[in-house]
Amino acid sequence: MIRDKEHHVLVIGGGIAGIQVSLDLAEMGFFVHMVEKLPSIGGKMAQLDKTFPTNDCAI
Amino acid sequence: MDVGRHPKIELLAYSEVEKVDGTVGAFDVTIRKKARYVDENKCTGCGACAEKCPTRVPDPYNEGLGERKAIYRYFAQGIPSTYTIDPDACRHLAGLRAEKEGADKGKIKKCGVCAKICQAKAIDYSQQDQIIQRQVEAIVLAVGYEVLKPEGITEYGYGRVPNVVTAIEFERLLSASGPTAGHLYRPADFVGKKKMPEHLPHAKKLAFIQCVGSRDGRRSIHCSGFCCMHSIKEAIIAKEHDSELDAWIFGMDIRAVGKGFEEYRLKAEQIGVKFVRSRVAEITKGPKGLPIVWYEDTRARRVYSREFDIVVLASACLPPKDAPVLAEKFGIELDSFGFIKTRPFAPFDTTREGIFVCGCARGPADIPESVAQASSAAARVAQVVLQEARKVVMQ
Amino acid sequence: MKRLAEKQLSPLKSKDVRIGVFVCHCGSNIAGYLDCKAVADYASTLPGVVYSTTNLYTCSESGIAEIKRAITEKKLTRVVVASCSPRTHEPLFKSACKEAGLNPYLFEMVNIRDQCSWVHMNSRDEATEKAKDLVRMGVAKAWFLEPQEDFEMPIEARVAVIGGGVAGLSAAESLADMGVSVVLIEKSPQLGGMTLKLNSLAPHLHNPDDLVNPLIERVEHHPRIKVYKESSIKSIEGYVGNYRIELDVKGQGVVQESVSAVVVAVGAKPYIPQGLYGYDGENVITQFELEQRLKNKGVGDDVKNVVMIQCVGARSQAEGEKSYCSRICCATAVKNALILKERFPDIKVSILYRDIQTYGSDFEAMLWKARSAGVRFYVYDPSDPPKVADNAVLVRSQIFSNDVLELPADIVVLSTPLEASDEAPVIANLMRIPTDANHFFLEAHVKLRPLDFATDGVFLCGSCRFPCTAEEARIQGMGAAARVGALLAKGKVISSALVAEVDSSTCCGCQGCLRICPYGAITYDESRHVCQVNPILCKGCGACAAACPSQSVQLKGFRPSQLLPQVRAAMESLKEMFVSCEL
Repeated sequence: MIRDKEHHVLVIGGGIAGIQVSLDLAEMGFFVHMVEKLPSIGGKMAQLDKTFPTNDCAI
Repeated sequence: MDVGRHPKIELLAYSEVEKVDGTVGAFDVTIRKKARYVDENKCTGCGACAEKCPTRVPDPYNEGLGERKAIYRYFAQGIPSTYTIDPDACRHLAGLRAEKEGADKGKIKKCGVCAKICQAKAIDYSQQDQIIQRQVEAIVLAVGYEVLKPEGITEYGYGRVPNVVTAIEFERLLSASGPTAGHLYRPADFVGKKKMPEHLPHAKKLAFIQCVGSRDGRRSIHCSGFCCMHSIKEAIIAKEHDSELDAWIFGMDIRAVGKGFEEYRLKAEQIGVKFVRSRVAEITKGPKGLPIVWYEDTRARRVYSREFDIVVLASACLPPKDAPVLAEKFGIELDSFGFIKTRPFAPFDTTREGIFVCGCARGPADIPESVAQASSAAARVAQVVLQEARKVVMQ
Repeated sequence: MKRLAEKQLSPLKSKDVRIGVFVCHCGSNIAGYLDCKAVADYASTLPGVVYSTTNLYTCSESGIAEIKRAITEKKLTRVVVASCSPRTHEPLFKSACKEAGLNPYLFEMVNIRDQCSWVHMNSRDEATEKAKDLVRMGVAKAWFLEPQEDFEMPIEARVAVIGGGVAGLSAAESLADMGVSVVLIEKSPQLGGMTLKLNSLAPHLHNPDDLVNPLIERVEHHPRIKVYKESSIKSIEGYVGNYRIELDVKGQGVVQESVSAVVVAVGAKPYIPQGLYGYDGENVITQFELEQRLKNKGVGDDVKNVVMIQCVGARSQAEGEKSYCSRICCATAVKNALILKERFPDIKVSILYRDIQTYGSDFEAMLWKARSAGVRFYVYDPSDPPKVADNAVLVRSQIFSNDVLELPADIVVLSTPLEASDEAPVIANLMRIPTDANHFFLEAHVKLRPLDFATDGVFLCGSCRFPCTAEEARIQGMGAAARVGALLAKGKVISSALVAEVDSSTCCGCQGCLRICPYGAITYDESRHVCQVNPILCKGCGACAAACPSQSVQLKGFRPSQLLPQVRAAMESLKEMFVSCEL
């Protein structure tokens, strides 16, 4: 599908939305530059212990 | 971890965008990669530096309930796993700055313990911010949200009445990796003390106050979407930790609208979580120093007051504080609530072509919604970038 | 991170077994509860182990670098990592091996965290001994590991979308724009689904035609989309990369289509509240019926009082009613109340509710607008629901008083939930995909993979997953397209080498394995009277291997010749307890 040239996209934000959109775009063949202002990615979800409604661990 | 390893993802953490020029298909972006004062390629993440660092500061990851050192990792499993020196906390860096400004050498307190102890020789006090340029065809803003700090809602006593916390602070209390290793101690019993005291009592009575700063004509009328479910979850987990615990949820409408959510709410009721249809009027400090919640039970049409060990405020989901700055930097508009505005029938397009938004930056959304939005935004970006069909603006 | 060119080592002989053992501290998760150094030291005494060390975090960049370095420098032919659960980092460690030129299937992981340090937090010495036992077992298995190759199958960029509503249309459009060929299958004569029947879209009161018509136009004229209307599906056979669909198309007869992936977007239908609140379809109607009347100008000036009742047939444990909250009915009711007020300013509209679910920013703003416009809201308790009487509704709304209020009503509008469409169980059966207790499709993971099925190659979006608004359906349709795009982008499907395989020389064709396989991965070859496994469909669960009476079908990576040495190694520390034990 994406075979002609390499397409570059910038994603700002390393929370769950930023991570998911980066992964999906990368899997589709795009090159993603991800920028996050904190020292590591994870966003608010990294601060959560468990998530509803399955009570899975957030990380 | 998937992000850190992916060959098609360049991760620039501890970085911020300074400038954006250009148009869809050809954006020129200037990024500032902030100095960590640690060489990423050398740091093994062993943590010896943090162990020896003499400076402690409140830990933002634990919402100020715990402490971290001046050299730190944001959280243990973070990617990248490199350590960072907080330039505002590090006394060595402060000393170097003072030296530059010509302060009296004798008065400067220097340190340098981390550099001495680092076996990988990864500490670099002279590291500078790096300016990086990138050319991209599209930009996605997934900048998230901010939690309202409820000091401004004075009747709820946050910051004044002991043991009144926000939902995310409570999350850190419940967490095994949090400041109390998951023990539900009352914050007033340990915050600010040099060492965690022994044999602290566990909280037995919890109150969750919904719509703090949301659905509020004085602040913002919007509903923050996920806080009802969040409080229910916290109540359920707290009761799993201790089945004798009393949990009360005070809310106007309990918004459990997603898949499996109504069943989750029912489960809470079945294990004894109490729901009171009310809007809490005031929280005062009781004679034992514990918070007292004043509310009208609207179904009973009576006013009550009740003492709790911990009161959790389901604080509003707000657009990020720097949203207006962001809007200017990227040339986009915000909606009337301050979230990033999208076009009708094009749910991820901002008002500037080639710039997209997904997740809470767009408006309150829970995790499955954010994940679904992110995937769709990816499809939308692919569609626009590939330009195999002209983008249809359905107006 | 530069990747080394992949080099394959030459076939291994048993005397070439050179095992490297990496014992992880996992920060303090493991090291805090057992002596990692002692375990590593013990490992170095085990047969075949030429290198043994500890790491703080083996999964960190430096830990991975160490594994790769050791493989090269020490010429390792097997790697054993003793750390956390394989579910966390096994793929990472296997990749590291691959990058260093070692076949990733010559890697064995030993769990000394979840299965040791985390469950023996107060017995350091015993935990250390147990960790040693576990490592000994891992090393024993490592001797018998075989190099394997993953299966690769080319995949064509051709997808079927089942359902031509907003969700399906959005998925089809998105996919076609990405360069994928799409076959769109719709059972009715008209594309557009339920959205076309709506009068207006909340919260901004947009005309649904403005959303749907351009979408239909694009889809019908898109060079890469083939649309089948008035079609029903007779069968769907196959697996990811290789689906064969048989359709019965009106006017064309039976048509066959081959696709690589399927998107399910069959929508939902409004629940009809037979027997509830005096529903008669004339004066007591559903919210959907009100929507039609508003669209067709069927609400006249003679209507002075409208009472809406929320949660009819929903959030209920009663037989025949639904237990879930249907998400969109409160927003719909408030929207229609606003429209009624705008069209007939003197009309009195009341909404009787349990919780008003106008979530988010825009819906909540719509609620405030409705209250300012004079719409009345009364809370009721589900244990004492409203009663519909002649031209009135009686409700006890405790927030005002304990008395029963009589609200005049010319029309009573019942807000009912959306329930799973009639197509859902049919498709679920044809494709062997799961539905939940409410017959909505069950996704791979409610939070993190809401648009995927656990089965590879099948995706879902829209109300068939759970009731959603038209905008949410569009979002999910586009999202599903992205998920399909990610699958197709590589041009091939890679599936794990650890699948079952049948030794046809010993297989007697009893078909015990075929009957037990939950994935339909085993077929019977009539001509040779033996069973065979489809490696693409096989998920490596091992049920067949357990069922086979002759051990003809074995799970690669878990053969008896690999597992028994592990068991013997486990028993070694119990040798003194058992005088003779023959395995």
